[in-house]
Amino acid sequence: MVWARRLWFRLQTLFHRCRVADELDDEIQFHLDQQIAENIAAGMSGEEATRRARIKFGGIELAKQECRDARGVPLLETVWLDARYALRTLRKSPSFTAVAVLTLALGIGANTAVFSVVNGLVLRSLPVERPNELIFLENARYGPGQSFPNYKDLRDGNHTFAGLVGYRIAPMEMETDTGPQRIWGYLATGNYFDVLGVHPVLGRFFNQSEDRHPGGNPYAVLSYSAWRSRFGADPAIVGKTIRLNRLPYTVLGVAPPDFHGTELFYWPEVWVPMMMEPRIESNAWLDERDTWNTWIVGRLKPKVSPTQAEADLNAVAAEMARQFPDVNGDLHFKVTKPGLIGNTVGTPAKAFALGVLVLAALVLLAACTNLASMFTARATDRLRELAVRLAIGAGRGRVVRQVLTETLLLSLVGGGAGYVLAAFLARALSRWRAPMDFPVQFDVESDWRVFLFALASAIIAGALFGSAPAWRVSRIDPNAALRGASTAWGRGRLALRDLLVVVQVALCFVLVSASFLALQGLQQALEMNLGFRPQQVATAAFELNLAGYTPERGRAFQQQALQAIQQLPGVQSAAYSNSVPLSIDQSHTGVFPADKTDLQPSDRIGVAFYQVSPGFFATMGTKLLAGREFTWHDDTKSPQVAIVNLAFARRILHNPDAVGKHFRGGVLGPFAEVIGVVEDGKYESLTESPEPVVFWSILQSYNSTTTVEVKSALPATQMVAEIRQAIARLDPELPLYGVGSLEQMLGFAFFPTRAAAIALSAFGILAIMLATTGIHGLVAYAVSRRTHEIGIRMAIGARPGEVLRLVLGKTAALLVLGSLVGLTLALAVGQAISSVVYEMQPRDPLVIVSAWIAIALLGLFASWSPARRAMRVDPMVALRYE
Amino acid sequence: MAKPNDLVQGTLDLLILKTLSLEPKHGWAIAKRIQQISGEVLQVQQGSLYPALHRLEQKAWIKAKWKETETGRQAKFYSLTVAGRAQLEKEAANWSRLSAAINLVVETT
Repeated sequence: MVWARRLWFRLQTLFHRCRVADELDDEIQFHLDQQIAENIAAGMSGEEATRRARIKFGGIELAKQECRDARGVPLLETVWLDARYALRTLRKSPSFTAVAVLTLALGIGANTAVFSVVNGLVLRSLPVERPNELIFLENARYGPGQSFPNYKDLRDGNHTFAGLVGYRIAPMEMETDTGPQRIWGYLATGNYFDVLGVHPVLGRFFNQSEDRHPGGNPYAVLSYSAWRSRFGADPAIVGKTIRLNRLPYTVLGVAPPDFHGTELFYWPEVWVPMMMEPRIESNAWLDERDTWNTWIVGRLKPKVSPTQAEADLNAVAAEMARQFPDVNGDLHFKVTKPGLIGNTVGTPAKAFALGVLVLAALVLLAACTNLASMFTARATDRLRELAVRLAIGAGRGRVVRQVLTETLLLSLVGGGAGYVLAAFLARALSRWRAPMDFPVQFDVESDWRVFLFALASAIIAGALFGSAPAWRVSRIDPNAALRGASTAWGRGRLALRDLLVVVQVALCFVLVSASFLALQGLQQALEMNLGFRPQQVATAAFELNLAGYTPERGRAFQQQALQAIQQLPGVQSAAYSNSVPLSIDQSHTGVFPADKTDLQPSDRIGVAFYQVSPGFFATMGTKLLAGREFTWHDDTKSPQVAIVNLAFARRILHNPDAVGKHFRGGVLGPFAEVIGVVEDGKYESLTESPEPVVFWSILQSYNSTTTVEVKSALPATQMVAEIRQAIARLDPELPLYGVGSLEQMLGFAFFPTRAAAIALSAFGILAIMLATTGIHGLVAYAVSRRTHEIGIRMAIGARPGEVLRLVLGKTAALLVLGSLVGLTLALAVGQAISSVVYEMQPRDPLVIVSAWIAIALLGLFASWSPARRAMRVDPMVALRYE
Repeated sequence: MAKPNDLVQGTLDLLILKTLSLEPKHGWAIAKRIQQISGEVLQVQQGSLYPALHRLEQKAWIKAKWKETETGRQAKFYSLTVAGRAQLEKEAANWSRLSAAINLVVETT
């Protein structure tokens, strides 16, 4: 307990300095009084007794100082004193302090906000038991998807996992008070909750024995937010029935509030046992070994490394390949971190986040440079004060510490403001729901990691920008300074402040060119040939299988709906398909060239496919390069036909003019005849290179998932309302989703580019603001210090132009030097930026020239007013100065 | 001010601890007590007594409390802590060893 007592002492000393000082006075006064009393008793006069007592005691003040030294912790105490002194100084120049705090708040806030996203997407683990044991399974060919029979083989054949969970993101239709609504949930194997180690807040979860028979376990687990928003947090929800796809399901329980499944960006509303798949999705694939729809997350057994698990899984894969050579021929597994669908989303998302973090760090660095030169200038103005302090015996270390305390104090205040700013931004981002049917949502709210990051940034920033003035102060020559020499610190050579401006301009150049690149990338993305023209096209989607339609009735309904829509006023053309390019729902298939007779699994070529109705290409504005579109006669009664894109024609049919050629769609599939070739486009992302795509006639291969595309000159909002009504007249119960203009729907595809443009533009603007104030500060300071010199020069006949050159010559040189350094840096960090920006060419001369022009304008703007002041110097006034 | 009866530091600590081992005392009483017991040989430099007291308090060997004296004035009374008592035993043992050794050297001819 000794340490506790000591600590108490220190604190007591710190916070009750006055009381302690009074106590010390009282204690010593008591002593003196006792001595005086004794002296008087010995026969002295009152005055003499007091004098003798004081002599006997010795140096009273010295003793008091020694007591304080013995007591206080000198370091802690001086820190306290320094902090109070710094506060006083800062309060004396409120505008300076405000600018510094604002600069820091923006710099640290930007970094902390970006870090919150990195934290939420990369660093944070899933809210389950021992999340470090969890892995996500990917295979070399199909990425995240595995077939369900393969899942069962892996689950039963491995030796390294405590459990393997199979699951799938699935939309379903839930009956609500306001009619049926499309919601998103998970299909999950019975061991899902047990393996993840999640515990219900209400009721219970389903288990292994409740996931045995296809269609036999109509149970549902609600997410916490669905329970609150859809069922008013009904405490008696357990045991009640909800209707999914028009069938009753019993609610078993409610998941905890922070559990949203194993994907960090997706918030499901409901979990349903995997065996209910045939009732939830339009096609049953639980027994299909070649349908790769299942995602797998596994929990490693204790002390098993991911590498061991990977080896174990691939041993099982070898056996699976032996059993089913045509499907599992080249099966190879890889384990990755769960949360971002393995590397599919994880790798680009991490690269993006880290790239933005690097740029944010540059912004903070620019802010520090600014502050460093502000504080160095201030230290110069306080030269005399500091010199006096040194002269009367303050140690150099003590003075330097005083300067550092001031900068650290400021950066802590600025960092606190920045943290609040970032927490606010992160909260807004967490609440934000992208305007899409698919529930993309991130939890990036700040936690202790974000707080520590902000604190560390503040301390590092404070130390960084404090080191420049501290270094200056440590080199003060009090003798020269007190003699009034304003040149106590060297001049002429490239001084520290000049160096800081070069760094600042360089950083500004990097950030400005990065934001130009991002804007240019966004513009290119917006103007890019997508292979279709989204302008003036409205879409609406529905799922007929979920709504209880048989394929026959569904086919008829699709055509009725199309006819009804085509008759709406203002409609130029309309069509339907299973999906549209660049939406989330993309399908893939394997095709085989026609010239092969002995088909091997390795001959299979993966392509994306769409099932489209007649009029699809006309409505979407896709150019038909050769052949014809589908007609209403391309149905089940006529031979199989296909339209392919140019990449398909070139790569698979080896001929851009592929009309009349044949290929096989699937191992046993019939030959299909190519009747048309269309231009290439973008199908899954804006950054992909041309991918082979085949379009089937939806009349020949029915799909219950239906997207209607309508081209019309009417405003999208009006068109959408009319489409809704037209479909409601046919089936008032049918829920629609993805309703809106096609351009709106493409928001998902444009999201990364938009986010990059917004983030980088913000950084660019911040950098410009910082560089402007930095350069302005430099020039204004130079002018104010050289007023005298300018006055003399003008008095002996210098013309304003020459004065201008005197003032701006060096600034211009610094700007050029900074831009050159910045250019080099920009090329060096180009890699980091290119991961953020679509189709970025870091060496784009246009961008470099624009950045240069921006810097030049900025320099001109920033030095305008101080330069004018220099030219207006009145020699008489200037010479009388001082 | 180098007088033969100046107290080396450390020795003063020992004397203070020893003086306080019987009952709590204020600074004046400690100085008086040391002077009396030593037969007026040891003159405690009053200027160094208080820093020593504060140092010992800081080390948590003694603790302080404001109390009334017999004359009704408030004074700061110091008393020994448990750690202080242990320290006293240690320092006393050290002192005995040291003084015995010095005696041996001085008296051996």
